[in-house]
Amino acid sequence: MASTVARRPVQIELSGVTKRFTTPSGSMFTALRAIDLVVGAGKFCAVVGPTGCGKSTTLTMVAGLDRPSTGTVSVGGQGVDGITAGISFMFQADALMPWKTVLGNVALGPVFRGRPRKEALSQARDWVRRVGLAGFEEHHPHQLSGGMRKRVSLAAALINEPSILLMDEPFGALDVQTKAIMSNELLGLWEQTRPSVIFVTHDLEEAIALADQVVVMTAGPGTVKAVYDIDLARPRGAVQEIRFDSRFLELHHQIWASLREEVEAAYARTARGGRS
Amino acid sequence: MSEPAGRSGAISVISSQTEAGDTADVHHAVRRRKVLVWAARLATLVVVIGGWQLLTSAKIVDRFFWGQPSGIAAQLNDWVRHGTAYGSIWLQVWTTFKEAVLGFVFGVIAGVIVGVLLGQFRFFSDVLSPYIKIANAIPRIVLGSLFTVALGLGIAAKVSLAAVLVFFVVFFNAFQGVREVDRNLLNNARVLGASRGAITRHVVIPSALTWIIASLHVAFGLAIIGAIVGEFLGAQRGLGLVIATAQNNFNPNGVFAAMFIIAVLALTAEGLIGLLERRLLSWRPPSSVEASPA
Repeated sequence: MASTVARRPVQIELSGVTKRFTTPSGSMFTALRAIDLVVGAGKFCAVVGPTGCGKSTTLTMVAGLDRPSTGTVSVGGQGVDGITAGISFMFQADALMPWKTVLGNVALGPVFRGRPRKEALSQARDWVRRVGLAGFEEHHPHQLSGGMRKRVSLAAALINEPSILLMDEPFGALDVQTKAIMSNELLGLWEQTRPSVIFVTHDLEEAIALADQVVVMTAGPGTVKAVYDIDLARPRGAVQEIRFDSRFLELHHQIWASLREEVEAAYARTARGGRS
Repeated sequence: MSEPAGRSGAISVISSQTEAGDTADVHHAVRRRKVLVWAARLATLVVVIGGWQLLTSAKIVDRFFWGQPSGIAAQLNDWVRHGTAYGSIWLQVWTTFKEAVLGFVFGVIAGVIVGVLLGQFRFFSDVLSPYIKIANAIPRIVLGSLFTVALGLGIAAKVSLAAVLVFFVVFFNAFQGVREVDRNLLNNARVLGASRGAITRHVVIPSALTWIIASLHVAFGLAIIGAIVGEFLGAQRGLGLVIATAQNNFNPNGVFAAMFIIAVLALTAEGLIGLLERRLLSWRPPSSVEASPA
């Protein structure tokens, strides 16, 4: 059966991507300008940048939920047109159906792809167990903690064995300890199937600890400022400990110098905007 | 909490005893409050009904116009024993109930279908929105006259009127419910590969259900109003006809007695809708089931 064979990871390519939105007042707003970015097949790419620099917009265009105004997005050599096949998306806010149980939520992927219900449920049961939620299958999302809901989202995103996983600040709302645990689990699961990942975050430490490649974006309109290769060995082990690795600190220092300018620029702009 | 320091063993024994005493006290207080509330409710009923009875007996209020509780009870008793002018009282109740339920069912089905469709297709909703506003501003109860002329004295006119009243309430809620569906949930379903039909079935309808069910409480009341008004306007049987006859005969007790029966019907239906709500929306956290949007 096709599903038992893991999908081959694919390369993601953005070239000259610009995205403009029309504001309600009728003027144009440029969210992204001339983005060029290549994420190699099976690579983990983290995107950092100041608030409002269009990081999330980039993800929606890779997913095919939105189209670039100019430029092209291609996945595995094919231009994106409509929803990209073999993709999973983990949103910043909970995207769980509150009326479905944990099992029902995780089973949505296979159900939407037309799998028989029974097969979908047994697959879901397996994934619920893999994210450590065995025994919670019949709970509803409101009965779970924030961290547990994220695990459900993770299982729901990975059950289709995506070739691409897009994550938009998935752990942004979690407390520091839960975030560290979730990061470790994400790395463990990612290393099993190795999809290509674009991981948007505000947290530079998280980005370096997880990724092969950290992309720094400029303050809006967003464009790629610099790309840093993270040459820390894999498997990385616990993200809490790698923070003390001397190479980690070196990279952190280097990337932060670049990121700080953009954060300050974005802050100055909002502060000015607030005053005028 | 406020025990003096020292001799901690003895103190902890004492405090655990007082704690047990406290819980018993709390239970007792809760029960006492419940009893008090029910006693006050009963007293309210006695004062209102008794006051009404006394005032009319003492001729301070004219029972010819305002009826009398004992008269209403006698009227109900008479209807049950001897029936009304149009056959047994149960036939009248059944007729009105049937009209209201059929109108309710048709109105709800049409309201949900049209609401869900228009909510999803932006173009149609943009085209139709001014007409919907106009239709909503019209006093639709007047359509009853039209239906009575067009559809005759039978059940069809009443069912139509009830259905029209129900339709608009349910439609607006379904429409709004569809519009309020969380964007994240929609995008998530699309990325997971859901077809348009699957999105409607798994995301849109369950999400709108909270709104739709909230509207059903109001809708059944309107269905009964539709049925009764339809019967006022022209009918061969039904509680509305019984009320109209009582009015023509200067029999306020008859009006009140029919009102009482209708209230029992409405409360029963309300209870059933409440059960349905609890069943369909069992996934919601308990607190929000209590405070459902009206």
